[in-house]
Amino acid sequence: MIYLDHAATSFPKPPSVVAAIQRWYLELGVSAERGDGSRCSEVRREVDAARTALGALAGVRGDRVAFTSGATESLNLALRAVLRDGDVVLTTAFEHSSVVRPLQALQRQRHLRLEILPATSGTLSLAAARDALQNLRPRLFVFTHASNVTGALFDAPALCELARQAGTMTLLDVSQTAGLTAIDVGADLLAGSAHKALHGPQGLGFLIARPGLELPPQKQGGTGSSAAVAEHPEHWPQAFEAGTPNSPAILGLAAALQWLQERGIDNLRNGALARAEELAAGLRRKPGVQLFWPTGPRLPVVSFVHRDFDPAELGSMLDAAGIHVRSGFHCAPWIHAALGTATAGTVRMSPGPDVSADDIRQALAAVAD
Amino acid sequence: MRAAGIGEQGQARLRKARVLVVGVGALGTHSSDALARAGVGALDLVDRDIVEQSNLQRQVLFTELDAEAGTPKAIAAAARLREVNRECVVTAHVANCTAEFLRALPRPDLVLDGTDNFPTRYLINDWCAEQRIPWIYAGAVGSEGASMVLRPGGACLRCLWPEAPANSDVGNCETAGILAPAIAAVTAFQVAEALRILTGSSTPSTRGVFTCDVWRGHYTVITLAPESAIDCPVCRRERFPALTETQPSAVSLCGRDAVQIDPPRRSPADLDALAARLRGVATDVLRTPHLLRFQADGVRFSVFPGGRTLLFGVADPLRARALYDRWIGLS
Repeated sequence: MIYLDHAATSFPKPPSVVAAIQRWYLELGVSAERGDGSRCSEVRREVDAARTALGALAGVRGDRVAFTSGATESLNLALRAVLRDGDVVLTTAFEHSSVVRPLQALQRQRHLRLEILPATSGTLSLAAARDALQNLRPRLFVFTHASNVTGALFDAPALCELARQAGTMTLLDVSQTAGLTAIDVGADLLAGSAHKALHGPQGLGFLIARPGLELPPQKQGGTGSSAAVAEHPEHWPQAFEAGTPNSPAILGLAAALQWLQERGIDNLRNGALARAEELAAGLRRKPGVQLFWPTGPRLPVVSFVHRDFDPAELGSMLDAAGIHVRSGFHCAPWIHAALGTATAGTVRMSPGPDVSADDIRQALAAVAD
Repeated sequence: MRAAGIGEQGQARLRKARVLVVGVGALGTHSSDALARAGVGALDLVDRDIVEQSNLQRQVLFTELDAEAGTPKAIAAAARLREVNRECVVTAHVANCTAEFLRALPRPDLVLDGTDNFPTRYLINDWCAEQRIPWIYAGAVGSEGASMVLRPGGACLRCLWPEAPANSDVGNCETAGILAPAIAAVTAFQVAEALRILTGSSTPSTRGVFTCDVWRGHYTVITLAPESAIDCPVCRRERFPALTETQPSAVSLCGRDAVQIDPPRRSPADLDALAARLRGVATDVLRTPHLLRFQADGVRFSVFPGGRTLLFGVADPLRARALYDRWIGLS
């Protein structure tokens, strides 16, 4: 099988990641903050290593990194912690359901005013963002670092700076970009998941807050510390970590971050981008294909539709040829109106760093002209 | 009660009897109607499909109102049967007939086949053999029909047909059409045999396959060897393949009016043979190097070489499975 769905979940995982998870199940089996044994200390060292390495990617200390069950939980918790009744929120038409759906629920519950930057050119306009931020002075600007449909990578440093000038807090969804590009971009809050380009396991995400930013906990429970106190601690990261953590996944992520450092994020991105360029070039030669490939910085994500086939049919044709892709809306409900794909979505191919040029040739051969 | 062979004792037995009817289409509506009128105490009706206009020509319990409302067949039939005999406890199950479904049911005394496909018949066969419940096979297509009694300890369906005949060989009522009297003839045999079993009649069940061609006027019983086949996995080795096989999965496509069906095993589907069979009965049949497309029952089908099928224009996975089994039935 040729796997071209790295934008959903990277596969295969580095062997060191699998080994770290297995080691927890076979040899460790405990949590960092829960128990007196030496194995707890061992797990704690690994969890701290994961926090430190992830913090380094975001340009903060490890104690600013809270682990969650995934980017979806991180985004839900952050939105609930930040937004108050009647707030103005700025977001974009590129967002994933993990932003769109909690925002729409909160819009009803807390009477938010929701402003959505359009996706007309296939990417995000800095000028439109500046105007909206200056005119609306929103409480929060929540946006994705890159489109998981078109692959367009947004100028997050400039957008965060514009928000800062408007006195607006920023919540950046780095699910698509962590592990592929720098995420130290000046956002107040970063939300992401371990299982995409970071090459960690599913079921683990993170919420990173800049130093000095404290938010009220949105879930309460055991933290392994301050247990004699009835109130849930309000300091980061325990404020956002209630309940027994997913230790095996965190150990897997620690190994993944080590692997990323050894391979080099730039090398990994450039390898996958070269394959994406080959895909795009091959698809452009097919008369039936319409490619969505906005100019400018991008991720290795290639979306297209075909004149004669439904995206779901193309996905099944590729599947029959042993090529794993994704068809449909990619959990990004708003962008398809701009792309003209609101009826059936697109076919998305997202190669990883170790996909070969020959794999790409096979994938292209399986797409009808 | 006055009929030969039933009597008061037989009628009392009928009142205590519970019958499962799998498939409430042409066969199932005829047989369940007759059983309710005969005074059977409890009927379980299972069907995952809805009533459509094209059914009314042969499916006797349904009306144009049912078709307009798209009422599930099991529910429409149950409502009508309760009007026919209010003492008969009729339970409607809008469901796929799977091993799990059968295991969760109250144990029936008899199972009547009203299905339109062989995978479900093998499931009935294996479950009835395991549970030692008699069942009566029935099938009809065109002007022909067949029915036979399968009792615990005797030969089972797998003894006769170790493998399901391909749907392309036997045709189905969608591809070959069906003459309503063929249904009546087949279910007359099926219900008469059912009543003999349920009343505990001293006359043994008919041995062999009843076959008929109502257009040519042929009615025969083909005698079969009463013993189980020597290599039958069910009868000789107590293995029940249909109870352990994984069913095709049916998943609604996110945000679409479409369902994807994946057979449990990828096997090369003969799309050319399927296309040949569908030409003339389905519309817009298109065979490309990558897929086979056709239109049937208001739904567009796309079948891929590994057996995966997409159905566009249907959102309910249960209905999609019914359409898949009816038109493709690759499992």
